[in-house]
Amino acid sequence: MTGGLELAILAGWTIVVTIFGLVAGLVLLGIDRKLAAHMQARVGPPLRQPFIDFRKLMIKESVVPANAIPWMFNIAPVIALISSLVILLYIPLGSIPSPLGAFGDFVLVMYLLTVPALAMVAGGFASGSPYATVGAQREMVTMIAYEFPLAIVVVAIAWRLGAAGIPDAFSLATIAAHPVWSVVGPLGILGLLLLLVVLAVVSPAELSRIPFDSQEAETELAGGLLVEYSGRNLAMFYLAQGVKTLVMGAIAVAVFFPWNISSFISMPGGVAQVVDIVFFLLKVILVMFFSVSLARVAMARFRINQIVSLYWIYIGVIGLSGLILLMADAVLVSVAGGII
Amino acid sequence: MDIFTTLSTGSGYWNPLAWLGGFLVITVIVWLIWSRGEKSYKKGTAQTAPYLSGNAEPAKGDVHIRAGNLYWGYTEALKGYYSRIVPIHTGILNDYVMWYLGVTALLIIVVVIFA
Repeated sequence: MTGGLELAILAGWTIVVTIFGLVAGLVLLGIDRKLAAHMQARVGPPLRQPFIDFRKLMIKESVVPANAIPWMFNIAPVIALISSLVILLYIPLGSIPSPLGAFGDFVLVMYLLTVPALAMVAGGFASGSPYATVGAQREMVTMIAYEFPLAIVVVAIAWRLGAAGIPDAFSLATIAAHPVWSVVGPLGILGLLLLLVVLAVVSPAELSRIPFDSQEAETELAGGLLVEYSGRNLAMFYLAQGVKTLVMGAIAVAVFFPWNISSFISMPGGVAQVVDIVFFLLKVILVMFFSVSLARVAMARFRINQIVSLYWIYIGVIGLSGLILLMADAVLVSVAGGII
Repeated sequence: MDIFTTLSTGSGYWNPLAWLGGFLVITVIVWLIWSRGEKSYKKGTAQTAPYLSGNAEPAKGDVHIRAGNLYWGYTEALKGYYSRIVPIHTGILNDYVMWYLGVTALLIIVVVIFA
């Protein structure tokens, strides 16, 4: 009976988080567009524009091209959205614990991040269009490129927390509950800043945004992966884009900026959670502004081979430097602790 | 072993059934949204022709992108590495055996030194 009740609560909580993810994702897309427009001296669309776009896509015809593999073409956007939402179930949102946080760690989240991208690749290959095929190939190459630096960030943070004697260091709830900045010395802070840069550079690639959007590249591939998509299928990819934006922001917040207002100011339980979730969204917006909006306005698109060089060589070296600094910091902090 | 047990590596952990449960609940929600979208389109019309920037579609085989191009960006970016590695793959069995023996000998030396 208790097990059934727990399952029902988990299912209910999953539904709440899913609806939150869909709405918050579209709001984030609206804010991104508004901020980008203002930086380009434009008024920009209203904040609710993504909701209007979604509604319009849902009433447009959903064309399946003659060359496509229909079942894969139709299922890919659905899988992309589902898998994006599933990741959200493992990430703490403000002071609210995640529904599945106790059932999967940061390494699992890193692997799950590849599923929406693979669904997009499958959809691109199933489109039967040369533009979409080239886009799918580029998406795969981009994914291979940014996974290495992302893995460095995951391992480095968890390793440093583990070295500080914190149990379950790979759990995102643990990482969020023990801000990594508070366990490191000066060298570690420098290392964390480098890792923050790495995650900030990985985020736009995860989201297929400029300067890492060579897989869609409107000006050369006419939309690439998504060139043949329309109607409700495109709407699913659009929703997935919003959810992934929230996911990447939530990961950055959980790892690098996990503080909640309720930790500093005493508040009743319900009020604290509302305040914390609003504060969490503000942090996500701030992270996304610097990592996505500012980057896509300020920069031009990288070529696909430049993306690989950037991630495997430059960002890889920066990430490894951050990791080494964290390791050196752990040694110094433990030696200093021994002397004291 | 209890199939509901969360798998643990000592550092990390995950529960495949919890993931599957979450996946199924979200699948229902997403399917409800997707199924409310417009289903129809005009089959067999120009609407379903592939988009090729206004050009007529060549024969199907002519627009197919070969799998050899799959990782072009990757191999191009790391050509400094591949230009050294590819010539080593001569296709001659003797060479592969020599490499195998050489690497094995090296590993044994490393193991002996650090043992």
